[in-house]
Amino acid sequence: MTEPTPSEYVIQTEALCKRYGAKLALDHLDLRIASGRIHAIVGANGAGKSTLFRILLGFLPPSSGRASILGRDSQHLTPTDRGRIGFVNEEHTLPNWMRVAAVTAMQRHHYPRWDQRAFDEVIGHYHVLPEQKVGQLSRGERAGFNLALTLAQRPELLVLDEPTLGLDVVAKRAFLESLLYSNAAGQCTVIYCSHQMEEVERVADNLIILERGHLMNMSAPDDFCARVMHWVADIPFAGPAPASVPGLLQVQRIDGLHHYLVLDQDEDFADFLKASGARSVQSMPVSLDRAVNGFLAKNHAVPAAA
Amino acid sequence: MRDLFKGELLRFRGWAIAGAVLHLLVLGFLARVVDLAQQPLLVYRVFGGVYVLAGLLLGLYQMGSYRRPNTWLNLLHRPLPGWRIAASLLGAGAVLLAVAAALPVLLIAGYQAGMTARVVDLRHWLFPLAALLIATCGYLAGAYCMLGGRRHSTCALVFLVLLAVSQAIGPRVLIVQALALLWLAAMVLVAFKPDLSAPPRSLAATVITALPLQMGVYLLALLLGFGMEMLWIMQGTHPNNMSVPPPGGHNETERMTAQQRMLAGLAVSRAPQAPLWREQVALSEVQPIGSQLAATPVRNELTHAAAAQMEFDDDELRVRWVFSHDRMRFEGYRLTDGRRFGELGVGTDDAAFPAPAQAAGSLPALPRGDGALIAGNTLYHYVSASHQALPRIRLPASEILAGVTPVGESLVVLSDRALYFFDGRDAAAGDALLSPRQRLPIPGRSGDLRDIDLIELVDGYLVSFSFTTYAHELTGVAPYQSVLWLDDSGHVTEVAHRAIGYDYPALYRYKAWWPSPALYALRVAALGLFAVVDPLDVTAPPPIPRRVQLFAGALMLLSLLAAIWLCRRRALSTPARLAWLLACAVVGLPALASLWLLYPAGEYATYRRRLRPATA
Repeated sequence: MTEPTPSEYVIQTEALCKRYGAKLALDHLDLRIASGRIHAIVGANGAGKSTLFRILLGFLPPSSGRASILGRDSQHLTPTDRGRIGFVNEEHTLPNWMRVAAVTAMQRHHYPRWDQRAFDEVIGHYHVLPEQKVGQLSRGERAGFNLALTLAQRPELLVLDEPTLGLDVVAKRAFLESLLYSNAAGQCTVIYCSHQMEEVERVADNLIILERGHLMNMSAPDDFCARVMHWVADIPFAGPAPASVPGLLQVQRIDGLHHYLVLDQDEDFADFLKASGARSVQSMPVSLDRAVNGFLAKNHAVPAAA
Repeated sequence: MRDLFKGELLRFRGWAIAGAVLHLLVLGFLARVVDLAQQPLLVYRVFGGVYVLAGLLLGLYQMGSYRRPNTWLNLLHRPLPGWRIAASLLGAGAVLLAVAAALPVLLIAGYQAGMTARVVDLRHWLFPLAALLIATCGYLAGAYCMLGGRRHSTCALVFLVLLAVSQAIGPRVLIVQALALLWLAAMVLVAFKPDLSAPPRSLAATVITALPLQMGVYLLALLLGFGMEMLWIMQGTHPNNMSVPPPGGHNETERMTAQQRMLAGLAVSRAPQAPLWREQVALSEVQPIGSQLAATPVRNELTHAAAAQMEFDDDELRVRWVFSHDRMRFEGYRLTDGRRFGELGVGTDDAAFPAPAQAAGSLPALPRGDGALIAGNTLYHYVSASHQALPRIRLPASEILAGVTPVGESLVVLSDRALYFFDGRDAAAGDALLSPRQRLPIPGRSGDLRDIDLIELVDGYLVSFSFTTYAHELTGVAPYQSVLWLDDSGHVTEVAHRAIGYDYPALYRYKAWWPSPALYALRVAALGLFAVVDPLDVTAPPPIPRRVQLFAGALMLLSLLAAIWLCRRRALSTPARLAWLLACAVVGLPALASLWLLYPAGEYATYRRRLRPATA
């Protein structure tokens, strides 16, 4: 498989920085997202995801560096460019005072490539009546309606910023199914930002991990999972000092057994544990949820006294 | 675009209809009680204030609901240019205000015109448009307060101040309101961009934002000065509220009785008769001469400072006469049943008055029900019995008749340029035009003149003129008092000229000028736009003192130096930097403040400053 050319990247940033006072929300971020497929962006709160989207859509200026979206400098997007980019945020901000039919008609008039079939296909998953006011919709219905509106625009790039935040289990499943089984979603590049790893595991072809404004990982979710391994060691006394454990993400002692979550360690790690006094060692793969959580927890700030 | 417009109308339609109904009820109630077309300026100011407030609240609420980050993104991230989205929202706001503010006024004007005998002139039909323009200005100011940068967005309120203090007259008031509206709309369009915190980029956008901001800073400086003056008054050392005013100052002269003032003037007289006159003044009554006009009326002006004078009641006929600017005659209706009575013009054929006429009270020896009317340079005798207005005193065409005061058996008529003396007995007898016995030119400008005091001598009149009206500010003449002797043959001699001291230091008097001479000039030009100079308000300001000029120059130089320092710390292009330096040198401190407010310290500068101790 050949490397995509610059024009094939839907999103491209070069040394992108965004500073709020003395705090760096994005720290020299170099990110290239190729066209096609579903890309998940995960990261702890404050990792810079929403800041990145706001810069990419031209609603925030970068402090330094460059950002382009669909080949256009993000600070100079034209109305036509905006028509090619769909955006769904976690609040599903829609005019509460308007009826569903009126909002639909408005979007239909604004977007020249409006696809009524795509709209009907998605909205069919929800019990939304045209005469209902948007303010009367449940949170799940609102999310579905918003997704239907955005997919019907036939965007080339669809950005979903934590779209299932605050939805119950049923609504979340309905939202994901309407996204996954939509033909419109299959025809565009999707950037899916979420804290829900089971969703990411289900939808994403590519996993992008941001941490404190840095790009920490970009690979297929399975590849990332393969980098993280859970080791259980029976060490009769105190285990090795955490600082000496290579690739350590997390360590726990449960029922006398030491549980190590480590990154990028092969079978040599068993030898390390045995050399540290382990009587027996066992390794096992981890879920994406555990791998990402362990990865993100590694550098999570703790009080100085801890 | 149309969908956004319709959606916004839908959003606020309930509020607009409720506002319109409430507005109509209030106006309807008031229309039953009073004639809404003939109210004093204060009443219209209150209504205008309510319209501005309604618009302001709508703008604040509407744009406040959109400026939340996700909502703003959802609104602007669509394949439409920003200005079209803005036009949709703002257009809807204007239509809503037309329903709530303008429509009820139009309906009430229609009611008064069609169902009552009250006067409804063409100028009154412009009230709905004025209401709409004023409310929309408030709305746009509110919208900008929400969308503009947080450090400077309140500068839009400057235009609301302009609406309140503009001196434009007649339908041209609407042009001033429309210009304010256009500028505010441009400000909102400049602010209506994805990144709300970003300063304006282009030259035009910067000028559109920076100029009101600089004027706002200038007004804030004046307000600050006003606040300090309040503290001064509370302290009890302010010349206006000291129990004993500063000796020799204009406050002292203004607080004197007419007799004291005349004696103070004569005290510096070198005339040989001065001692005799002083004795006579001490024993006689000194008569103050006043003006009956609060302001000179102008045809088709929308409001008038003393609207009550544009109508008068004939208690004998039980008729109210109201002056119509369209007809240039008084229109009468019965006070008993409100039915139309007739028309009152000049002479037997009810000819049109040459200028807007006002009631000027009664005169001695006039029959009950009769009165005096003033129109331009002419005084008319209103005859109740024949309901006619007969010209009795006519001054030269270039003068404005401002008032009539009976003095003994004479009538003293005040114009903007002179005092005229008529025989009062002639006024009571016959209908002919009177001829003045004597004319005494005013030794100064009418706007500066505060007190005229007169004493009748055996061989003429002694008249004191005190010019102190605007001695506390830069528009007034250096205060003085002049005492003239008018003898029986009409010969005028100045018998005393007393220079009156200032009660305030020069920096106080010129406090509107030295913060920014350029903005003061702009302020004067803006207030005077489409204004008509009132002859009764003309003054003769002296040149600006040199030390005040030097102080203003020093402030401008200081602004320039500070701007050089500030520009080096802001990410500005070289042309922009040069333009700002020029602005700070010319405009002074307000331009410097606007530079600081528009361009906050850069992120990099902040970061570098914070890191320095750690890296040291």
